[in-house]
This record gives sequence, structure tokens and C-alpha cells, in this order.
Amino acid sequence: METIWLYQFRLIVIGDSTVGKSCLIRRFTEGRFAQVSDPTVGVDFFSRLVEIEPGKRIKLQIWDTAGQERFRSITRAYYRNSVGGLLLFDITNRRSFQNVHNWLEEAQSHVQPHSIIFLLVGHKCDLEAQRQVTQQEAEKLAGAYGMRYVETSARDAINVEKAFVDLTKDIFELVRNGDIKIQDGWEGVKSGFVPNTVHSSEEVTKSSRQCYC
Amino acid sequence: MSEWAWFAVNSSMQVCTETFDNMSDSEASCAAAEGSEAALGKQNPSPAGTPDSSSPSTPDFSIDVALTRKARRRPETQPAAKVQDTPKEDEQPAKTSNQSTVSQGGWGYWGSWGKSILSTATATVATVGQGLTQVIEKAETSLGIPSPTELSAQVEEEEKQKVSSPVDGASTEPDKAVDESSAVGSAMGMLSSLSSVVQNTGKTVITGGLDALEFIGKKTMDVIAEGDPGFKKTKGLMRRNATLSQVLREAKEREELQSADKDSANSDKKVVAHYGMLFDEFQGLSHLEALEILSRESESKVKSVLLTLSGDELVQLRDELDQIKGSFSLVEFDDEEVDENKDEDGSEFERELKEAMEGLSVSATADKLSKACKSSSSLINELTKQHVETDVNEEDVKKHSVEEVHAAAIRSLAELTARSIELFHKLAEMILFSNGSTEASVLSQLTVVLCKEISLLSKKFTSCLTAAGSNEKGEVLNPLITGVFLEASNSASYIQDAFQLLMPILEISHIERRVQLTEQ
Repeated sequence: METIWLYQFRLIVIGDSTVGKSCLIRRFTEGRFAQVSDPTVGVDFFSRLVEIEPGKRIKLQIWDTAGQERFRSITRAYYRNSVGGLLLFDITNRRSFQNVHNWLEEAQSHVQPHSIIFLLVGHKCDLEAQRQVTQQEAEKLAGAYGMRYVETSARDAINVEKAFVDLTKDIFELVRNGDIKIQDGWEGVKSGFVPNTVHSSEEVTKSSRQCYC
Repeated sequence: MSEWAWFAVNSSMQVCTETFDNMSDSEASCAAAEGSEAALGKQNPSPAGTPDSSSPSTPDFSIDVALTRKARRRPETQPAAKVQDTPKEDEQPAKTSNQSTVSQGGWGYWGSWGKSILSTATATVATVGQGLTQVIEKAETSLGIPSPTELSAQVEEEEKQKVSSPVDGASTEPDKAVDESSAVGSAMGMLSSLSSVVQNTGKTVITGGLDALEFIGKKTMDVIAEGDPGFKKTKGLMRRNATLSQVLREAKEREELQSADKDSANSDKKVVAHYGMLFDEFQGLSHLEALEILSRESESKVKSVLLTLSGDELVQLRDELDQIKGSFSLVEFDDEEVDENKDEDGSEFERELKEAMEGLSVSATADKLSKACKSSSSLINELTKQHVETDVNEEDVKKHSVEEVHAAAIRSLAELTARSIELFHKLAEMILFSNGSTEASVLSQLTVVLCKEISLLSKKFTSCLTAAGSNEKGEVLNPLITGVFLEASNSASYIQDAFQLLMPILEISHIERRVQLTEQ
């Protein structure tokens, strides 16, 4: 059944405006590419299930933030409850790459006391001819911050799955090893429901009681 | 809490009428029941100024209205947060004792009855819950109570009669009304309007099983905790640690657990519509949570600004903020004129929405909402048409099962509510980053439009249900109808709570605008 998953991870997607955050998410969640899209206001939400190993599903709840500076004061409020993030820049826009550092700082300062596992995404890799950022320098930057790097294209559906699945797997490992713990009052990781598990005696009695109704 | 008391009163009535068929006898027995319930520790903070008696409006006996208005105050989120701090097993009894003590002499105050009955039910869900079930079912069979749909029509009639009836005060206070029920004339009419409410609420509780009862009970307790009428004034101030999304999330998680259970047990189970899960599917939970975040942040900003001010400046700002608060507490939703036949295709709603949204620049989100509404409308039209056709040619067209119609109704309600919350969230964001002033009155108007739509939708869907279930037994059909009304009333509550979350946002926006003006 579709609604059964092991965990729910909340991911936040950040980066300069027009780097293609919403398009990437749409491609991932809806499987299509929107030629035209309005700038995101504040934050929008998407979700999708990902199967990281056979039978092991994770629900991703994706917070798509506005890149525009004017929304910054609002989007700052949304970092805290995320376990992971995709930090996007546009490989045809050098400025968006230079801002990666600022984005990380911004995120780090607002996510306390938690932390976010980031993945650096060089987006619009279909536009090779207009490339302003080489893969090498992007990888170097990512390495300096301990992030993975992946180049994607929402239009040609390149690496879109990989970007989200890789990040999800990394987070899953951390959760499995206990490096990330589920905490009350924190929405980053939530436990899901597993079918065919042994129910506690309380639940069993509850359901048998229901029959008498 | 007046409506809750009202509902609860009705449950008491029902319990009593089960024991004694005679109305006047039942009063005495109710009083006796009250005594024993009161032993569990119940309290009425201000018997004199009960919200019921202070309410200037004529009580509306029609089912859906009662439900809508009742539930408006129901998911009181502030106490819900409290609940989470206490260990699960203890929460109900703990709450009970919190508000307990004064036991009632005689049966003067109906509201506290309701409290006793409800809290007992929730405190000992397993036993009392079942008892209540049997009682209600028995009462139904023994009294031959008509279906909720028949009732809604019947009740409207009665209401008209009542308005024209010369009994003073009877129409403004449920307790008095019952007191003087002989004077009202149609005692049976009275009884059925009373039981209609209980049937609605009671039945749902039963169908949903114990989990639902527990959940509803918890929410009920929260509202009941609000017994003090003075508290209402400060509600706006206190509610802002609100975690409405948490209440909803809990519901959703329970539903998920349930369907997971069912799934493993029986793979080809019937379509079951879970409001909470659907609400989440439409991203309602996320928008709600984001709105709560913004609301909380704004609230703390407002507080810190107030801390830096003193003297006249402080007094002046306080006054201005009080004005904003004022417009938030004034909102009363009355669906007196929600006409079922109106707005066939949802265009009326779109127009009203546009009107209400004038000057608020969130057209994209409003479009989504209009679309959701239109698709609900066309769905209803389709469902209705099918039934007309089936009458003519029963073998050709596969009739929609009542479960299908019910599922469609719950889905539509969940979608419309989620989109409404989304709209409020987007509004909050726009208000925060734009410097223009947004009038609270515009927002309250919007809230009214949305709640009306929810109410209208629930009426249309229940008509469909009635049509689809014409051959079904009452036990099958009634809980479904009840479910739709209940979720509609929940929807309206969520929308109104989301509206309340906008208050600190308007406040901080006002303060920021002020600062800019003085700087210029």
C-alpha cells in the first residue's frame, strides 16, 4: 500500500532565484517539466515516496523555498525542521554559484541546534554551451563543505532521481546508525508505519474491542 | 463552548430518554445522572453567565448549523499543546480534575452535564464509550428517530414554528427550552431536534470506533477546558502557542496506522476516506505548519517591540493593536442563508472569493482554491445526474455506492480546507513582505466565504448521499451522513483557526509600517 513508509524526511530546497528549484522538484514529484513557472512565493510543498532498498520506502516532504531576496526573512523561519537540503545553483549563472557560500551560512545559522545534510546541485546541465561553472570547481567547493555534488537537468530529466535518492540514502544511513535521531518537536525525521509488524498488546485489545461496537 | 454544551446536553437527554420515555420524568432522571456524573468531579466556572444564556442569537436547531458552529470552537489548540506534556494515560482524568469541583445542585446548568458525560466518556473510553453506543442505539430504535436527513428538513420546519411560537426565552436558551418544553407545544419535535444532534455526533463516534472517540474526546476536552467565558477574550492571545497542525497530524498518523492495519489484514477492503490523510495529501498540514511558524515568529516580534516601548508610545501602540485584535474576535459565522440549490457550478463561490480577495495579491493560490471548488461542484453534479439516470434505467448504469459518495465528500472537504489553509499561508507571506496594509475585515470576510462554501458543500454531498443510499439501511447511511457533517464542521474550525493565526502577522505588519512612516 502506498501510504506505508519507514520514515518521513523533510528536505528543504534553497538557492538563488531562477536557478530552477521548483522545476527540479516538479520533475521529481510530478514527472513533468514546466516551461513557464511563476516565482515561488514564500514556500511551497511537495511530497513523494522513494524506495531506497527493495521494500524500504521513505516519504520525502519537500519544502520549496522562494529564492528571491525579498522573501528571505520569511524563508529563514522554515529551515529548522529540515533534515536534509538541496542547495541549487545554475551552471550557466556564475553568480548563483558564488552565492552558494552565503546560502550555506544562512542555513547553518537558522537551523540550530539541528543540522542539515546538504547536497550541492549544479542545475540546468542540459545547457552545456552556456556553462559558466566547471564541474571540477563545483566538486571542489562541495568537497570543502563535505557535500556531494551532482549535476542535473529538469528539462532533460538528467540525474533528478539520483539527486534526491542519493541524499535520501545518505540521511537514511545516518538515521540507521543513530547519528540522526527522531526527536519530539522536530519535524526533520518522522517515523512511518510498517505493515505486518507485531502490535503492542494495547493495540490488539483496542481493535478487538472495536468489534463489539 | 455553548454549542458543545448544547451537544452534550443533548447526549444527556438521549441517555435519559432511553431510561424514561417520558420527557418530564427524564428531567428527574437526568438530574440523578448528573449527580453521579458530578461525583467524577466537574465544574461550571460561572453558572450564571453561561455562554448559552448570554448568546443573543436564536439557537438554530438545524443539524449542520449546530455542528458547524459547535465545532468552530472545538479544536482548541492551546490546550492540545498541554495535552502533549502529560503522559497519555493520564491526560483525560487530569483534565477532568482541573476543571472540576462544584457539583451542581439540581439540574440548573445544562452545560456542566454535558461536561460530565463527555469527560466520563473520554476518561474511560473503553467502557463508557461502549455504554454510550448501546444507549444511543437503543434510544434510536425505541424512539424511532428519523434519519438525519429527514430530520434536517423536519427540524427546519420546527424551527419556523418555534420562531413564531410566543414562548419567551424558550428559543434563546436550550435549558429553558427543555424546561418549558410542554409550552413549546410539540414535545416530540423538540425531542427529535435534540436527538438529531446527538445522533449526528454520537453515530460518528461509534462508526469511527474507539480511536475516533478518543480523538474527538480529546478535542472536546480541550474546548470544555475553555469553560470560562472570560477566557474567550484572551483566547486570541493565548492560542498562539497553537499547534493545530499537531492535532491534525495526530489524526492523520492514527489513520495511517489504521489503514496499515487494515491493509495487512484485508487487502480488498472497501474505500475508506480518511480526512486527515487526504488533508495532508493536499499539503494542508504543511501549509498549516508553515503558517504557524510565521504566526509564532510574528508574535514574538510583536512582544519584543512592545518591550522596547514605554509611556504614551506604548499606550498608543497597544490601542492600535487592540483594534486589530478586535476585528479578529468579531467574526461570527452564521450560515443562516446557505442555500443548497445555489451555486451549481462553483462560479458563485469564485465571484465571492474574488470579491473578498480584492486587494490581496495571491491570485495564483486563490485560483487553486476556485478550481478545487469547481471540481467538487462538477463532481456533485455528476453524482446527482447518475442517480437520476439510475432511476430510469437501473441495470445499465452502475450506481455509486454510498461509500463512494462519502469518500468523494470527505476528499472534497479535505481538499477545499487544505487549499483554504494554503491561501491563508500565502496571504501571511504576502502581508509579511509587502508594506501595504491589509485590513483584518477583508480577511474575516474571506473566512466567512470559505466557511459558507464548506457548509454548502456538505449539504450538497449529504443530499447526494441520501439519494445514493435510498435503498440502504439507516445504520449504513446515517453514520456516513454524520461523517460528512462532522468533517465539514472540522473543516470550518480549521479555517477559522487558521484565520486567527493571521492576527500576529497583521500586528507585526502594522508595527513595521508604522516604523517606516516615522522614519520617513
